[in-house]
Amino acid sequence: MKEQWRLLQTGFNTASTNMAIDRAVLVANSEGKVPPTVRFYAWKPPAISIGYFQSLAEEIDLDACKTHGVDYVRRITGGGAVFHESELTYSIVIPESHSQIPKNVLESYGRICGAVMKGLSNLGIESKYAPINDIIAYGKKISGNAQTRKARTVLQHGTVLTDVDVDKMFLLLKVPNEKIKDKLIADVKQRVTSVRNILEKDLPFEKIAQAMKAGFEEEFNIELVEGELTEAEIALTQKFEKECFGAKDWNHRR
Amino acid sequence: MQSKSVYKVPNGKLLKIILDYNEKNNFINSVRIAGDFFAYPEESIEFIENELKNALLEREALLKKIRHFVKEHKIQFIGLNAEGLTEGILMCKA
Repeated sequence: MKEQWRLLQTGFNTASTNMAIDRAVLVANSEGKVPPTVRFYAWKPPAISIGYFQSLAEEIDLDACKTHGVDYVRRITGGGAVFHESELTYSIVIPESHSQIPKNVLESYGRICGAVMKGLSNLGIESKYAPINDIIAYGKKISGNAQTRKARTVLQHGTVLTDVDVDKMFLLLKVPNEKIKDKLIADVKQRVTSVRNILEKDLPFEKIAQAMKAGFEEEFNIELVEGELTEAEIALTQKFEKECFGAKDWNHRR
Repeated sequence: MQSKSVYKVPNGKLLKIILDYNEKNNFINSVRIAGDFFAYPEESIEFIENELKNALLEREALLKKIRHFVKEHKIQFIGLNAEGLTEGILMCKA
């Protein structure tokens, strides 16, 4: 019998709730209270997440976010700023000691990205891992990923772009040099793609989630069983949302 | 004086440094290390920022200090390294 992991489908949530859930699952798994968990989710309102080490003021135009109704949050993972609007976001939480997870951080990025690539393949999109933390399809980025390890537990979350609006993204993000903004936008348009761009049609979120579920099951030779957050995880989510991801101290700390 | 740098680490990520230093004696008052790199554990960056307070703003001294700290605390960088961090800090120097 295949090992069973938990699948959470938490739908649309705010930026602070989404990041609080990932952290709550990380804590619960590190305490042995829940099995390895894969989660699929989305963002409402749309949001920008920034990497743990980024400066909020340098990366995000907060006035523009307010004007466009876009939320923002600092992640517990490193990496860059991401505009979450039309995408499926996944997270995986698993003990560092699990036989399916390479000890080496870079190798584990590759392994987990392998599950996303199999998911894309199930949609008819061939892709490859582009170290450090991207997945590319037909030469363009379709997925960005970020990992942290805390309390001997791995959390990796990442995106699968279903559509992309680079112009809107650049209304919200600051660039180091305004003079070259137009060129930067043109460059990013050349370098980023989406499920919609490749398949030339819109797919329902559920269909992409189904393909990703199968991708994780194939990559890790496991069965994903639909589950819910435990009461303890819900309580932890509320705590982290209040004390961390929804708090100015955290989001503006850099 | 305070100054900033933006440095693309070779084969790595974009590093953004904000440095406050004493021009007269060439010592660091404070340094803020930001960017889209990865470091494990993440909190180590704050420790490095603290470690670099009052450090001499000179390549060999900085590199030695950062390398020693990274080794001692088993810090793992991805998209960043001691050389890149040193270069980014020195780029702030007028």
